[in-house]
Amino acid sequence: MLYTLLLLKKIGMENLYRNTAPEFKTVDSVEILPSLKHSLSNNIPVHIINGGSQDVVKIEFIFNAGIWQQKKPLIATLTNTMLNEGTSSLSASDIADKFDFLGAHIGFSASKHDASVTLYSLKKHFSETLALISDLIKNSIFPEKEFKTILTNKKQQYQIDHQKTNVLAKEKFTEMIYGKNHPYANIYDSSEFDNCSLQDVKEFYKEHYTPNNCHIIIAGKVDDNVLSEVEDLFGENKWTNQSASIDFDHKIISSKEKSAFVCKDDAVQSTIRIGRKLFTKTHPDHTGMQLLNLILGGYFGSRLMQNIREEKGYTYGINSILISHLKDGHFTIVTEVGAEVCKAAVQEIFIEIKRLREELIPEDELTLVKNYISGELLRNLDSPFALSDGLKGNLPFGLDNTYFAQFIKDLKAVTAKKIMELANEYLQLDDIYLIVCGPKECEEAVTFPN
Amino acid sequence: MIEFDKFTLKNGLRVIVHRDETTPMAAVNILYNIGAKDENPERTGFAHLFEHLMFGGSINIPNYDEPLQMVGGDNNAWTNNDITNYYLTVPKANLETAFWLESDRMLSLAFSEKSLEVQRSVVIEEFKQRYFNQPYGDVWLHLRPLAYKEHPYQWPTIGKSIDHIEKATLEEVKDFFFHHYAPNNAIMVVAGNVDTQQVKELSEKWFGPIERREIQERNLPVEPTQNEFRSKRIESNVPFDAIYMAFHMGKRMDEDFYIIDLVSDVLSNGQSSRIFQSLVKEKNLFSSIDAYITGEFEPGLFLISGKLVEGVAMETAEAAIWEELNKMATTKVDEYELQKVKNKVESSLVFSEISYLNKAMNLATHELLGDADDINKEVEKYQKVSVADILNSSAKIFRKENCSTLYYYSKK
Repeated sequence: MLYTLLLLKKIGMENLYRNTAPEFKTVDSVEILPSLKHSLSNNIPVHIINGGSQDVVKIEFIFNAGIWQQKKPLIATLTNTMLNEGTSSLSASDIADKFDFLGAHIGFSASKHDASVTLYSLKKHFSETLALISDLIKNSIFPEKEFKTILTNKKQQYQIDHQKTNVLAKEKFTEMIYGKNHPYANIYDSSEFDNCSLQDVKEFYKEHYTPNNCHIIIAGKVDDNVLSEVEDLFGENKWTNQSASIDFDHKIISSKEKSAFVCKDDAVQSTIRIGRKLFTKTHPDHTGMQLLNLILGGYFGSRLMQNIREEKGYTYGINSILISHLKDGHFTIVTEVGAEVCKAAVQEIFIEIKRLREELIPEDELTLVKNYISGELLRNLDSPFALSDGLKGNLPFGLDNTYFAQFIKDLKAVTAKKIMELANEYLQLDDIYLIVCGPKECEEAVTFPN
Repeated sequence: MIEFDKFTLKNGLRVIVHRDETTPMAAVNILYNIGAKDENPERTGFAHLFEHLMFGGSINIPNYDEPLQMVGGDNNAWTNNDITNYYLTVPKANLETAFWLESDRMLSLAFSEKSLEVQRSVVIEEFKQRYFNQPYGDVWLHLRPLAYKEHPYQWPTIGKSIDHIEKATLEEVKDFFFHHYAPNNAIMVVAGNVDTQQVKELSEKWFGPIERREIQERNLPVEPTQNEFRSKRIESNVPFDAIYMAFHMGKRMDEDFYIIDLVSDVLSNGQSSRIFQSLVKEKNLFSSIDAYITGEFEPGLFLISGKLVEGVAMETAEAAIWEELNKMATTKVDEYELQKVKNKVESSLVFSEISYLNKAMNLATHELLGDADDINKEVEKYQKVSVADILNSSAKIFRKENCSTLYYYSKK
């Protein structure tokens, strides 16, 4: 009853056309806060993004001290984590206490090619928090007791994570496309936690946390004071470690087998991973593939999300991503589905890939994804902190954040025909890997279409 | 200090506008005063399932997402036991698209059978993904009914069980919409690069014509005081034992809410916090441990959850937690320690105000709880807390007969 009344109400209204979308504007360019480059007296590059509404500063120290540079599993991560565990003048609990009292947050992360220490500080406490960070980076002592605790806890976390189908499927996938021993796969057994030596960690620290192996990004309210404080603590003759580190090479060995099933018998859902090795973001086809990726599985309106979730209800979510490491990259589709629909879901994913190879994408869909991604860039790059993350990702490729403006420009030029060409070049079944991790009955889902 | 303007439309829709010129975007956040606590105990999970249906097309607009994506927008929503919150962001020039979309789904949904059928399956997969396909994922399904015997907080937002979701009908969906979704049961916050005059005009134009609706009266059962210790033991296919303890505390708007929040911070906010230092670092009893509050609108829970280091006995781990809690309840924290957690709170508030979307959500919640301007009084409320307050509130909460403990054993 109430329902009908509302309908009548609608007809009675003047000048309000609820079934017609209002006028809108497309995002044609993205105005991005520029980054300025400085050098400390010892040539450490410092990139500065100055802006934002709050009186806060983020400073990130990035070292070429990642998984790529380690000789044994876990060393890069452990070294990075252990920076927080004691210096020649402060114990781990002193450090924690001081940072907490100043309301600062520090983050540690080790990734494929680098490891970083990030400080988020209120501007008013920056001098004190920076001095603490400086102590951690330059005077860490790696106490045995803290090392043991961290190993125990990280090992347990590893064992918990390895109960998850998505973790197991991801490991199998990266192992197959990069090879078991390649840093981009970074696969190791839980017994490695028992074999780690503190000596290896200390050596890794000495060789890699050095001034000639470091660059710095500062974002937020950055004035001349901030910069001179950084110079005072990290400039010439301020470092304990000096020696340079030597980079080495790793060969990719992709598996000849193109599919695998990982059994996890008590799982109620299975994880599907479908993808291939691809290229880095400096490749000329990267922008086009970004767009293709978006159409296929890169946003909520994507074909996979619409088909597998919104049409069939097989999953809570399905996504595809393009990963660009420094020297190589990959493309992958990931989803978790009920065991009973696993086989059907795999086949539907292949149907969507085939459609990209065989049918031109309609113009309105192409326009929509172009508009969407432009808005997405604007949304994701609207604060100095977000921009500093973007810059961190761009710098290793010799790029800065002007990359994003160029990306939007190149994106607008990609045609439907180009998308189809890319699909035919990069998404042939022969090049694609298929991994399923789930209960036994899902094994039959590991089947390529004819 | 977050500045904002506030006005109410004739149909009861409250609108708050917050201007932040540092972003090129605008956010529209609409909070509906309806959550899992309002559900029929035989149809739990309904508020959240309904949230999914809000994306299944509205009366005049067959597809919600596409027109938004076309203008560079993005959206999402979440449901908890108290509220359902929808938000979107658009480049500032396309703000009207947001008003067009949101007002139409407040006016009426398309109510499609197909959408209901699909979203039932999607939510069931979400249920499995979050609760059954993760180690320790089902904790809340055990702990909530242990702690609550009468109050609807006894079930998690996702629902008590999958078969409740399977039973939902389109009639129920319609009924739910017209009794809970209405301008007079919603708060809209528009934040970002916007101005109040523009928001006023757009609000009148798109939301003004929607009729006020009669909202089903909320009449929640009161949870009786817990008088004896409760516990439950389960075994599951997980690698390590874990322990979960729940203590009853007051409502979000109670005087001592800020005190108890700081109690949880003394215990576990940051690496210098008590239980991290003592139970993880010094005694090596836990590989991870946390203390936190649910922060729910109705009387909520203070929770402790920890994963035991392999080889540590459950009794030893439990006794060590109690030792820390008893210390809180019998000995004053020192001024420095209290100041430290206050500083941390103040700092996280400063950082949280970087995001216009965050501000929009927080303004909406504060307005529903009483007054949007309370957002600017929070720091003061934390600063006022004394060491005596911490002691008294700890003594009130950390009593064995106020505790429900879940022993989660690894099946080995």
